Amino acid sequence: MRLKVDGVSKEFGGTRVLAGASLSVADGELAAVLGPSGCGKTTLLRIVAGFESADAGTVAIGGVDVTGLPPERRRIGIVPQEAALFPHLTVARNVAFGLPRGGRRDERVAECLNLVGLSGYGERMPHELSGGQQQRVALARALAPRPGVVLLDEPFNALDRSLRVSVREDVRDALKKADATAVLVTHDQEEAMSMADTVAVMREGLIVQKGDPASVYAAPHDLGVATFVGEAVVLDASAERGVASCALGSLPLRSGGGGGRGRVAVRPEQFVVTPPEAGVAGLVERVEFFGHDAALTVALDNGVVIRARTRGDVPHRPGDRVGVGVEGPVLFFEL
Amino acid sequence: MLLVPAVFAALVSLLPIVYLVVRAAEGGLGVVAETLWRARTLELAVRSLGLAAVVTLLCVVIGVSLAWLVVRTDLPGRRVFGVLAALPLAVPSYVAAYTWVAALPDLSGFWGSVMVLTLVSYPYVYLPAAAALARLDPAMEEVALSLGRGRMSVVLRQLRPSVAAGGLLVAMYVLAEFGAVAIMRFDVFTTQIYTSYRAGFDRTPAAVLGLLLVVVTSAIVVAEARSRGRASYATRGAPARRRRVVALRPAARVAGLAWSTSVAVAAVGFPFAAICYWLLDGASAELRPAELFSAFGATLSMSAAGALVSTALAVPVGVIAARHRGRTASFLEQSTYVGHALPGIVIALSLVFFGVRYAYPLYQRWPMLVLAYAVLFLPAAVGAVRASVLQAPPVVEEVARSLGRGPLAVMREVTLPLALPGVLAGGALVFLTAMKELPATLLLRPTGMETLATRLWTETGSGAYGAAAPYAALLMLVAAVPGFVLGHRSTREDA
Amino acid sequence: MSVRRLIAAAIIPLALLATACGGGEPAAAPTSSEDPEKFEDASLVIYSGRNENLVGPLIDKLKTATGLDVQVRYGDSAELAAQILEEGERTRADLFFSQDAGALGALSKAGVLAPLPQPLLDRVPEKYRSADGTWIGVSGRARVIVYDPRTVQDPPKSVFDLTDPKYKDKVGWAPTNASFQSFVTALRLVSGEDKARKWLEDMKANGTQTFSNNGNILNAVDEGKVSAGLINHYYWYEKVAEKGEAGVPSKLSFPAEGDPGALVNVAGVSVLKASKHGAAAQKAAEFMLGTEAQKYFADETKEYPLVEGVATAPGLPALDSIKGPDLDLSKLDSLEQTLTLLKEVGLV
Repeated sequence: MRLKVDGVSKEFGGTRVLAGASLSVADGELAAVLGPSGCGKTTLLRIVAGFESADAGTVAIGGVDVTGLPPERRRIGIVPQEAALFPHLTVARNVAFGLPRGGRRDERVAECLNLVGLSGYGERMPHELSGGQQQRVALARALAPRPGVVLLDEPFNALDRSLRVSVREDVRDALKKADATAVLVTHDQEEAMSMADTVAVMREGLIVQKGDPASVYAAPHDLGVATFVGEAVVLDASAERGVASCALGSLPLRSGGGGGRGRVAVRPEQFVVTPPEAGVAGLVERVEFFGHDAALTVALDNGVVIRARTRGDVPHRPGDRVGVGVEGPVLFFEL
Repeated sequence: MLLVPAVFAALVSLLPIVYLVVRAAEGGLGVVAETLWRARTLELAVRSLGLAAVVTLLCVVIGVSLAWLVVRTDLPGRRVFGVLAALPLAVPSYVAAYTWVAALPDLSGFWGSVMVLTLVSYPYVYLPAAAALARLDPAMEEVALSLGRGRMSVVLRQLRPSVAAGGLLVAMYVLAEFGAVAIMRFDVFTTQIYTSYRAGFDRTPAAVLGLLLVVVTSAIVVAEARSRGRASYATRGAPARRRRVVALRPAARVAGLAWSTSVAVAAVGFPFAAICYWLLDGASAELRPAELFSAFGATLSMSAAGALVSTALAVPVGVIAARHRGRTASFLEQSTYVGHALPGIVIALSLVFFGVRYAYPLYQRWPMLVLAYAVLFLPAAVGAVRASVLQAPPVVEEVARSLGRGPLAVMREVTLPLALPGVLAGGALVFLTAMKELPATLLLRPTGMETLATRLWTETGSGAYGAAAPYAALLMLVAAVPGFVLGHRSTREDA
Repeated sequence: MSVRRLIAAAIIPLALLATACGGGEPAAAPTSSEDPEKFEDASLVIYSGRNENLVGPLIDKLKTATGLDVQVRYGDSAELAAQILEEGERTRADLFFSQDAGALGALSKAGVLAPLPQPLLDRVPEKYRSADGTWIGVSGRARVIVYDPRTVQDPPKSVFDLTDPKYKDKVGWAPTNASFQSFVTALRLVSGEDKARKWLEDMKANGTQTFSNNGNILNAVDEGKVSAGLINHYYWYEKVAEKGEAGVPSKLSFPAEGDPGALVNVAGVSVLKASKHGAAAQKAAEFMLGTEAQKYFADETKEYPLVEGVATAPGLPALDSIKGPDLDLSKLDSLEQTLTLLKEVGLV
């Protein structure tokens, strides 16, 4: 394991922020810590970096316990929210900041700038760069000394939405090319899912689930994780022998064995829109058109409102009567 | 790491209090009580506080309005007015008071003191207000306008910390001021302290009154710290936006011009003109270039050394004040204000007391005078350091830590370079204030050393105003250089 | 850009500091270029409460006449006295040259002054030196009433005239001035505490204007702002010497015989007990009472020489024609009580 966080706790003025959080990140892995604001993910990152000290627990980087070490001796790289470039230094000197004097400094700076696609920007001053460029320089700066772990703290927050996707890709590519181990802290599930090799979902000071994005999405640990990592229609249900009965009829469960009263979660892409008689009947309330696909909000006759993903060439209009069916097994969580 | 030098700075600043306690204790409780309960003590304390309150209020009005006109409007000649607005710093209060009384003999007492002290000290509010206005996010102003609130509501709220800090310096300056009020024949608290020394040869009542002044000032300092509150004024790392300027309507433009011009004429034009008149009037007085030059050299070297030491002591305190909260941080910061709260003679006598006992080889040598300047003017330097360190976002320091720098290296390579312009501005302020200093200079300078201020004192003391003029003129011209730099800085686009 | 300018603004004075402190400019930093011990041993240090413009030339004469290496520290008499008291045993002062008897009296009381030799003391009439021989007057100044002949027909002959309603709001005094306080002390000693208090209260009730010093009072009379004022005689003579008789509309009235307002106070010298140059300091004191110095006071500062046989400046009434209050000047050190009285009346 490149990074191993074990049972870290932290209180601020009597408020418990971390409650024994543990996290392991393998060599070369890009892990996302995903959680709502206030869940403690930034504190966790700051403890890994050494900016805060943990009340309990340990942090090890590359097999070395760094719990008692100051930040400057932990060999970490930081990409903060707003890039935080040194405003008094050129881009090249920003990138060179963490490199030892002499040696092949210039070479490494050029290499890192090239890595983030900013060759030739070395003599610029930070304020002459766009937000996205600043963020890429911040990454180059963090990568330059070949840190054990790169920590990214909501690095795309300050960027325009249109810029975010491309910068995200650039950052992922650069991290991969550099073969860096990285932890990305974010509250944006789309960002976490699309960028990370593994996603660690954090809630109330604990990592509640960790796995690759697809499996976390497909097999969330509990209802909370299920609704946080993706949209879902949640319905009361009772389950028996691998089948749940709910307002959408009898639906097969993804994981057998569960039984009794509980809730099912149905992902929007599981819904199929049929003629009224072929499924649970209802009235189309709203059609949202996204180009590549669309979302249909349907008020079922039994009072349940669902939001279904459909293909972009949706033929329905508000007021149409349709039927709704469910494809594939659904998630069931006992109460 | 920073704590050791910061504690040292605080201890040096607190020396005068130790001295006052020693001297006050000598008299025993009886004298202490008798001094405190004297009706005159209360009356003078009230007068001093009233004077400080009115002067501070007027300084805020003048300082903020000029800062707004210079930084945020299209006032014609605003850069010139920006420089002029800082230049009263170059005018010693006793020179201002003397020139006004000479021109308008009826001007005296409370309102005469108010006028002179306001005109010489409003730059303490103008400079931080201009700096704060320059970095105020225009977006916030726009939001306020869009919500139907006046522009001023949000501007004033954002200005509060800088204006409060500047106002604090003004209030303390007024409480400790003696020269100008003496010329205005207005008895205040410090009059009582000086009288105790000068006519009574009695150090105990003076010490008791000095301690009382410290208590009053501490209350004001603590109140100001509270007003700063828990709000964070550290800037984020976001790139600065170009400042937006308000187009004044014709009537407002005329009013703005009239206002800026009258302040400049009264605060800068008048004293400079009066000194020129002295120069011409006293042209018959023999000019002694050698004495003038040596006083000039002594003034420059002593004040520069004072500014240097002051800034060096201020850096650890200012950084701690900017980066840490809690009792220790505020105690360290607030203890440096003692020097500003006490009249120069008290600081000087306390350094005589300690110098003779514990630093005899340095006593009446230049390091002692430099130390006195540092103690007297530390708060201005600490304020400048604190404000400019707040300008350097903490996250940038953390990044530097993560890149392998220890705390001291971060300070050297990141925090200080970022804070440097502000720190140097603080040094410039100390430099020009020290040039004008008189009471401590008289007692602590090496025997035989004369500065421009002591020469001015000698010449005016024997009524030789013509002979005093060259010293006053040179003093004001030299002090105008850092004043000019500070004023010019206040009008910069990215200040 | 402006950072660079600020750095430049900081460096220029530093460079000057380096030159000034590096010994290049002895006037500014006399100590650094010399061995401090040697410096201490070589020089006689005078703390002078008298203005350099007044006594600077006299100090030059002192150097020439005695061959002593003299360093002078100019300041306010009382502040220098406070400094000497703080310095205690380790004072750097050898000789204290005070503007008035009060500061000398305070130091004498504190026991930091060395006794002067009797032959030296004997040069000056007994009333102008301390009873215990620790200080001696070198020049005298008379308290006078300055008045404006344009508004005052018959000149006041006593300070007690000034409480008359016709002087309502028209008299100037300087209660914080040491000379004035010495006069009040004389008033207390001659007329008694009650009469002194009544006079102060009457004066205050009569709207007497407060000024910070004698010069300002004189100017106020000349400008017609007040009709009369209590000052020392030489301010008027100096102003006349500077501006000519036509430029000074005011006139002096020397109060009548026995009036406390006719007090003659002195500027004096004393040798510090802690001085390591006692002999040199005494030599300097002797010079101050020599003919050359006494003539200097008479001619240059318009004060009264105190040694017999030295002529007063022309125009000045003879010293022994001023019949001041019958008073031992040594008793003027009861300034504490005077201050208490002034405080009680609410004047300081």
